[in-house]
Amino acid sequence: MTEKVKVRIDGEVIAATAGQTILEVARANGKYIPALCYMEGLSAVGACRLCMVQVAGVARLLPACTTPVQEGLAIDTTSSQLQSYRKIALELLLAERNHVCAVCVSSGHCELQTLAQEHGVTYVRYPYNYPRLTVDTTHPRYVLDHNRCILCSRCVRTCAEIEGAHVWDMAGRGIDTRLVSELKRPWGEATSCTSCGKCVQACPTGAMAEKGWAVEEMTKQRTVVSRLTSMREGQ
Amino acid sequence: MTAGQVSALQHSEDQDLIDRIIADRVGHPGALLGILEQLQDGSPHKFLPMETLAYVAARTGIPQSQVYGVATFFALFNLDPQGTHTVAICRGTACHTRGSRPLLERVKLQLGLQERSDGADKISLTTPDQRFTVRTVACFGQCALAPVVEIDHAIRGHVKEQMLIREIEALRKESAR
Repeated sequence: MTEKVKVRIDGEVIAATAGQTILEVARANGKYIPALCYMEGLSAVGACRLCMVQVAGVARLLPACTTPVQEGLAIDTTSSQLQSYRKIALELLLAERNHVCAVCVSSGHCELQTLAQEHGVTYVRYPYNYPRLTVDTTHPRYVLDHNRCILCSRCVRTCAEIEGAHVWDMAGRGIDTRLVSELKRPWGEATSCTSCGKCVQACPTGAMAEKGWAVEEMTKQRTVVSRLTSMREGQ
Repeated sequence: MTAGQVSALQHSEDQDLIDRIIADRVGHPGALLGILEQLQDGSPHKFLPMETLAYVAARTGIPQSQVYGVATFFALFNLDPQGTHTVAICRGTACHTRGSRPLLERVKLQLGLQERSDGADKISLTTPDQRFTVRTVACFGQCALAPVVEIDHAIRGHVKEQMLIREIEALRKESAR
């Protein structure tokens, strides 16, 4: 009962299945669209605004991760307008918290850092926010550094959807939004946490890391989360 | 969350009330919002203590983090005890240009309140005797009356420092009796 549709991505005609998102179709066909909050195997929330694409006939930009494909869509993923918007989005992410790559455990393996490099973000045009943020080291095996958190909610969704524990969620709103475990308890005191570590692997930056790693040492196994979903679907 | 972790609340009457409110609403989409609102309205100091949030989470099966997220997202919910009287000062653009910051500073001085050092624009402060809560509001939608102050849910327009202090002192005397 899967309906086939044809879309045009950056001029190339691509066959897709109705219900797939633009991002899924693009990635399945070797077309690269940047994204931070999207992770294969998790629900899409369209939070990071990096996967914005232009669809012919639609005045506003659409997030590729939450927009389903339709017959005959003509999608542009690389226009100069998109490039400049993505750069702004990255700069705002960097300005919001204290992203100091030089002393970060994830430097060199960080998705935010990689995207910033790809988009030529050599400096940030906005004043830094320099918030006073805490580092939660109460968990015996993992650390949560709010300074590096970009609120992508990959950890929240991994914990809720894959592990089923839902230890994490977002508290507050706007610039005051913070990742919290349970009722703002220290991570180490969260009784619903199974210490599985999948949130750490899902985290795109150095906000969540295993203890014991020094600068640049925290490499992540990002495929773990996506593979679990695909294996469960196979059952 | 297992049933064993449902810890009993201090007062059993409170618990009965909470159980009833939850039972009335549970199962409906968005039930949490209504439950929290009703619980806060029913509490003497108009706030949601952590124990209540934990109890609601355990009873409804909604993860604690999600309950906390909802309770902190909406400005309606208070996690700290509120004063008997509420003074809400508008910090919208129109009121700001008409001098709402000096008003706020004057009221804080009058009630002996000190801002917490987190530098947040939005504040909600309660006097230690829990008689007054001073909070800021983004906009009442009454910009023609700027600066606007809401005292115990009554809107006052074109507020002057002297008038505001008089009102607060009147309330203070009233509640002292």
